[in-house]
Amino acid sequence: MKHTHKNILNPALLSLLLSAAVPVQAATINKTFCVSQTSKSLSGQSVTFWGYSDCGGGGMGGGGMGGMGSATIPGPLIEIGAGDTLNLSLNVGMMTPQEPSPYNGHTIHLHGADVMTSEDGTPETNGNVVNGDTYTWAPLANEAGSYPYHCHVHTVKHLEMGMYGAVVVRPRDAAGAFMKRITANAATAYDYEQVYVLSTVDPAYHTATMDSTVFGDYNAKYFLIGGKEGKTTSAPAMTLAAAKSKKAAFRLIGMHSTNATFGIKDSAGNLKPFTVYVEDGRALPTARTATSVDLSPGQRADLIVTLPSTTGTWYPQVTYKNLRDGGPLGTVFGKVTF
Amino acid sequence: MKRFLMLGLLCWAELISAGAYAATQNFTLYIDAGTLTINGAGGTVIDVLSFSDGGMAMTSVPGPALSVSEGDAVNVTVVNRHTASHNFVVSGVSTDATAIAAGASRTYSFSAPAAGAYVYADTLNNNINREMGLYGALLVRPAGGGNTAWTGGPAYDFERLWVMGEMDKPRWNDMVAAGGTVNTSIYKPNYFTMNGLGGFDAMMDMGVMLHGAVGQTALVHIVNGGQFAHALHFHANHFKVIAINGVRQSEPFQERDTFSVPPFSTAEVLYTLNKPGDYPMHVHTAQMETANGVYLNGAATMIMAQ
Ligand SMILES: [Cu+2]
Ligand SMILES: [Cu+2]
Repeated sequence: MKHTHKNILNPALLSLLLSAAVPVQAATINKTFCVSQTSKSLSGQSVTFWGYSDCGGGGMGGGGMGGMGSATIPGPLIEIGAGDTLNLSLNVGMMTPQEPSPYNGHTIHLHGADVMTSEDGTPETNGNVVNGDTYTWAPLANEAGSYPYHCHVHTVKHLEMGMYGAVVVRPRDAAGAFMKRITANAATAYDYEQVYVLSTVDPAYHTATMDSTVFGDYNAKYFLIGGKEGKTTSAPAMTLAAAKSKKAAFRLIGMHSTNATFGIKDSAGNLKPFTVYVEDGRALPTARTATSVDLSPGQRADLIVTLPSTTGTWYPQVTYKNLRDGGPLGTVFGKVTF
Repeated sequence: MKRFLMLGLLCWAELISAGAYAATQNFTLYIDAGTLTINGAGGTVIDVLSFSDGGMAMTSVPGPALSVSEGDAVNVTVVNRHTASHNFVVSGVSTDATAIAAGASRTYSFSAPAAGAYVYADTLNNNINREMGLYGALLVRPAGGGNTAWTGGPAYDFERLWVMGEMDKPRWNDMVAAGGTVNTSIYKPNYFTMNGLGGFDAMMDMGVMLHGAVGQTALVHIVNGGQFAHALHFHANHFKVIAINGVRQSEPFQERDTFSVPPFSTAEVLYTLNKPGDYPMHVHTAQMETANGVYLNGAATMIMAQ
């Protein structure tokens, strides 16, 4: 948004102005996204998606076209430093796939970012700007962690269509480089990182439009991590080749519409403990060591597991569960070798 | 609207009477069949059962908020004016689940537990009675009164009670109203409510919205009377989770922007209005944002700070 008063109210900028000693160099990161249609084969069925792509490099997607670019599900990973300023622009044009009015256009809602309503991407509250906008967020030093972004136009449809992705807010060191830590706290240091965007698919939502009774009943049929099914340990959605005794961070980002539980099992099926340091972009007052963590739609967890000193394979996995009694709907597997 | 004025008056009266001494609190609830109207696009009229205070409306989904103080001796007399058996249980608090026959009444007695929010319901009939609307909230105040969540606990400037619910109109409510048998293994609720209101109403209802001055803190009692987990997502800023099912969390409290309240459970959060403007609060789960598929007439309200 273009309001001139915005920066005056920006707490990150205020703290920078008021701070006598600025510890790290904050960066300004500008990105431009476009929206385009794509399709995925899920369990042999073709499902149409709408997704974001990074179209800021000139050439593609500029001007009034908008629909250019190659969407990915989830959208591009956005990495910024705590204290940085992100200016995330959305290009919506005549070629952009969309619904008719009143659900036309798209936005980017930075879910969990504590921003003014003008940066919130919610058309019902920011003047119905759905034809392209710039969303500005300057996360504070204590806001390192994982966040989703997603479209907030007719959310029941557009989020389900694939209009979501991840923002990782990283601590920066004194030289301004991203640290391999979840927060500035040295206890959160890791060697490897996996971003697991959780999502579910009800194909009926992908063909229905406008105010349809289809959107009154959600029947999750396909279950994804990072846009992939990963239905067996031999065909995992995500893989990591790591070294023994090292630490792997998992960034779990819930964009699903069911309940879900994450766990890590060894090849014998035993649950392995991990430590959760951050949930919903805020450090836990006390880090929590557990063998499972539940994620509801919209929630996140940033956790670290220490790999064993002997060679082997572990299977991080998400079991999607129904909202009524938590009964399992499907499990998606990842894989870590070491 | 009438319902909210009534809830408001009830809380007001109880706040005035709340003292430093354990007292006896007597309530009378009436069970009747009636209807719940979901206004706005996608809305409808749903056949329901409810606990009410016996006023003119005779229907109140959710039932009245029962406001008491810690240690109070609470007597809830339930008058069953419906044609089937019903009961009254405060989850985790009361133990007498005796059924009341049609036309009879019974007084359920319990001691008010630690300050916090609790959920009551008719637990009979395999969740059908609760699904039909027979649920509500018990709010327990600190013994010494005052605007803290508990004695010595975190302070707040104003409070809200959000009783979350859902109804599967075609398969459950319509079936019960027609005298048929509900197949309880299938539950596909298509209406989602806060204090009995769809989003079109709840986003304008002063008793539901979080509205106030920047810097004010709301204590929000979230009571899930439904059978689905409700994942509430607050825009604008994070909140502190201070209690779950009446169990106090240790300080410093964890901060979240989304919190899932399981079926027939409660949670309490502190939300500080930290910036001006209008922002939504909504359940983050696909269909739960809709009324039978119509967007934003589901479990949603507004946050408004000046
Ligand atoms: Cu969109
Ligand atoms: Cu969101």
